Amino acid sequence: MRRTMWWLAGLCSAGAFAAGSGEDKQVSLTIYNSDLALVEHLRPLEVPAGVQRIEFAGVSAQIVPQTVNFAADGLELIEQNFDYDLLTPAKLMEKAVGGKVRVVRTNPATGTETTDMAEVLSTNGGTVLRIGSRIEILREDSLPARVIFDKVPENLRARPTLSVLVNAAQPVTGDARLAYLTRGISWHADYVAMFDEPGGLLSMQGWITLANLSGTSFANARAQLVAGDLNIKQGDSPGYRESYEDRARRAAGTEANAKPRIADYYLYPLAQPTTIASNQTKQVSFLESTDAKASKGYEISFSGFQSNDEPQSAQVRVRFSNSKAGGLGEPLPAGMVRVYARDARGQPQFIGEDRIGHTSAGSDIALRIGDAFDVTVQPTLRQTTATSKRLTDYDMSYLVRNARNVPVVLTLRQKGLMRVNEVRAESLKGRRTDADSFAWDVSVPANGETTLTFTLRQGW
Amino acid sequence: MRPARALGLVLAFAALPCLADEVRVVSGAPDEVSVTIYRDLFALITETRTVELPAGAVTLEFDGVVESLLPQSAVVAGTGRELSETRYDYEKLTPGSLLRKSIGKTVTLTRTHRRTGKVTQVEATIVAANKYGVTFRTAEGNEAWQCSGLPERLTFSEIPDGIEAKPRLSIRLAGGEAGKRQVRVSYLAHGFTWSADYLGHVDAGAQRMDLLGWVTLRNLTGASFRNAQVQVVAGRLNLLDYEEDGTSLVGDTADYSSDEHLREALREAEEELADEFDDSAHFETVSSCYPQGPPAFGQVMTKRDSIGVVDAITAEDIGRFSDGSEELEEVIVTGTVALREKLADYQLYRLPARTDLNARQTKQVAFIRKQDVKIDRFYALRLADEAFEEDMIEEEGDRLHPMIRIGWMNQQADGLGEPLPGGRVRIFDGRHDSAVFAGEADIRDNPVGAPVEFAIGFAQDLTLIPKLPEDEEPQVNWLTLLTRRVSLPMELLIENRKSVPVDVEVRQGQMLQLTDIRVKRASQAPGRKAGDYLWRITVPANGAAHLDYVVSGRNSRED
Repeated sequence: MRRTMWWLAGLCSAGAFAAGSGEDKQVSLTIYNSDLALVEHLRPLEVPAGVQRIEFAGVSAQIVPQTVNFAADGLELIEQNFDYDLLTPAKLMEKAVGGKVRVVRTNPATGTETTDMAEVLSTNGGTVLRIGSRIEILREDSLPARVIFDKVPENLRARPTLSVLVNAAQPVTGDARLAYLTRGISWHADYVAMFDEPGGLLSMQGWITLANLSGTSFANARAQLVAGDLNIKQGDSPGYRESYEDRARRAAGTEANAKPRIADYYLYPLAQPTTIASNQTKQVSFLESTDAKASKGYEISFSGFQSNDEPQSAQVRVRFSNSKAGGLGEPLPAGMVRVYARDARGQPQFIGEDRIGHTSAGSDIALRIGDAFDVTVQPTLRQTTATSKRLTDYDMSYLVRNARNVPVVLTLRQKGLMRVNEVRAESLKGRRTDADSFAWDVSVPANGETTLTFTLRQGW
Repeated sequence: MRPARALGLVLAFAALPCLADEVRVVSGAPDEVSVTIYRDLFALITETRTVELPAGAVTLEFDGVVESLLPQSAVVAGTGRELSETRYDYEKLTPGSLLRKSIGKTVTLTRTHRRTGKVTQVEATIVAANKYGVTFRTAEGNEAWQCSGLPERLTFSEIPDGIEAKPRLSIRLAGGEAGKRQVRVSYLAHGFTWSADYLGHVDAGAQRMDLLGWVTLRNLTGASFRNAQVQVVAGRLNLLDYEEDGTSLVGDTADYSSDEHLREALREAEEELADEFDDSAHFETVSSCYPQGPPAFGQVMTKRDSIGVVDAITAEDIGRFSDGSEELEEVIVTGTVALREKLADYQLYRLPARTDLNARQTKQVAFIRKQDVKIDRFYALRLADEAFEEDMIEEEGDRLHPMIRIGWMNQQADGLGEPLPGGRVRIFDGRHDSAVFAGEADIRDNPVGAPVEFAIGFAQDLTLIPKLPEDEEPQVNWLTLLTRRVSLPMELLIENRKSVPVDVEVRQGQMLQLTDIRVKRASQAPGRKAGDYLWRITVPANGAAHLDYVVSGRNSRED
């Protein structure tokens, strides 16, 4: 049955090509964060009655063929194929097996050309030809020989092509809708944040960066962007959950707003059609906010108890909130935040970057900027003492140095403790932050140092 | 306070990026450039440019930006207009891109007969060009390029659209008042790095050192900057993986537990990047054929290899010759010292005068000179299990050689009191021209008020002969069974074959299978250092000293 269909298709294809290869009347893209886009082509169609093949050239090269959805009134879909077989010299010869080529030989001494018709018998490891009654290997003698092919096989394409085999009960004139998912198109947000430390303010500019690595250009497309992480099976699922202090988002926001949504995701439609060329990265501005309240903090965390000969730098965090009260009041799509500060001459200089996830409005964010050159911590495990078979007292001392000419506060966290844990003695009042962690806020004077000591008992 | 604008309203694209009536303004070269180099293989480039803007919407194109720019980091300020779109799609002119962009175009194919020299020229249309080969069509039919064994040359009449001779960043601006504007274009670009290199001339007897610090900065890219303001930033920035839209070429920097590992990864990446920027190393045309020739040879591949590639100069090399050798092409700026200022929580060093930073150039400028810094040069040996695996001591039969260590406290009272960015310290014995290279080490960022200590080598004429507890089973009796504590007697003999008395620091660290360690019955009262027990033993010239103590601990093996 299938064989017959193909034969039929072959008969009709010549007439059908013109109908199917029309340009897009409209192309729409719904782009997700996760290297995925839904493409919808609307193309005019004019087909005679009967079984025929319609070709759609210029679809994404990274199409997921299983997701193709073809719809046109009056057409019954029989079969669909995606062809993107690159035309290469090797393929050209391979497809010529069983067919005829011309072999033009040049006399090395005189330059005289002689032409023979040849049948290509095989291309495995070398090209075997039949010329007249002789069988020979192409250029076995290493002498020049040009091979001329009359035609380039039709299924070797310059552009990725989707073809559908359809049956029309009667001639059809109308629009065909072709929708599919593709890889290679994605977007993310990029933020440029200027941190004014003395003023306690953060100005943010947000950009949407669209990247098209699908191998196909989409001209004049209507695009909308979906913010939200879809669950997509890709073999390697993330599975790994970031621990609290590694995350930029510290408290999830609950402020609702009027942004359009689909299902549980935010939707950002682009107001105007745009051309998304192949291999292009383009950026579109979407957020400009000045003067959000922001502050800087120092943090460090230790898992386990150890001594260190050398001081370790504290992490620097810039904290702000995208709440209305904080001055921003916008949900922030996932992306990279690059933070700048002004140098002594007022010129902005880059000071670090961090990634934020999709962040609902009203969330508390603490961006990790880098390590403080001048705020360091040197841990010393002074003594361990077993108090019972299962419990041990750890006598820790943390020397916090501040070489800045302003006082600083460092949040020091002791984390990853065993099931039973308690602080027996401490030089500063700390707090339990978790079932298995404690934190202390250590104030250090300008150009000075503070030592935090505590005894922590843990075991099981 | 200006509220953030709603996203949907601002996403104003023009219908097509290249409409015929679109106004394009090209800015050729910047008026002024500032280059801020970070240790993580990138720089922040800030360009000041003067542009003449027409009243309507305009596409502004900046020529001559650094090729390796990260488009998502580009910021343009000072246009006074709403900016809707930024684009950077630079396709470099290479044989491959020329062929790819010429698909469907007509070129001239020239064949030359090797013997007779007869030249044949035909018109050809490129049908396909990809990494697997080139197919073209002539009046005769379809053929594959460079598969016939005849010399075949393709000639192009022009460079196809979409291939740029120069990297170009373009932005789209809304309409506004016409006039001259000074705009600031800033972006991050890969291919720049710097390191701190120190030369320490040590007077061991006086426990003093003269310290000279160089900023060695390196431009691996093909971009040259005239009369640029150059600065470097010392500090460990949080950077994320470039593959995931970040800036770092060595993965997330937070994943590196130590500065040493990060620095090592950066050194490797630097060499890779230097090769990548060296275009001649990657000159390779697409030319591949159908199977032909004798079967044994299979597919014939034509590949043009690099021509005249000069080995990259490594940062290592520069450091090695940093005290004045002229073998390398680096410029040493002497007589001036880079100026330091604070930038957020980092240090920023500014080259004192504007300078040219040329393509593939290395430049050095001093940033610190300190005389008579008080140091502690001493011999040290740490006894702990890991000591035998790490490089703390070198084992030689039963004899151990202490390490030569140098330490200082970064404070004004000791002649320092300046932040010292982490880098390689090369120590010379002697403070004069006849100084002898004594060893090197890497130090991490050293803030004011914090100590530094590093080893530069082993003292061959000092030996420590331990009678280690491994030699015998710990004593077990009813008391040890009850308290589960064991005692290990340690007997150390330190010999000095020098003609001067020396101080040797002996540290007792953690022992495997023993917790709750305490030192008892020591022949000399111990101090403490970083959790260890510590002794400073003076060993007479050509003499020996003893240290005996007992390590008492809880046997954790039975837990």
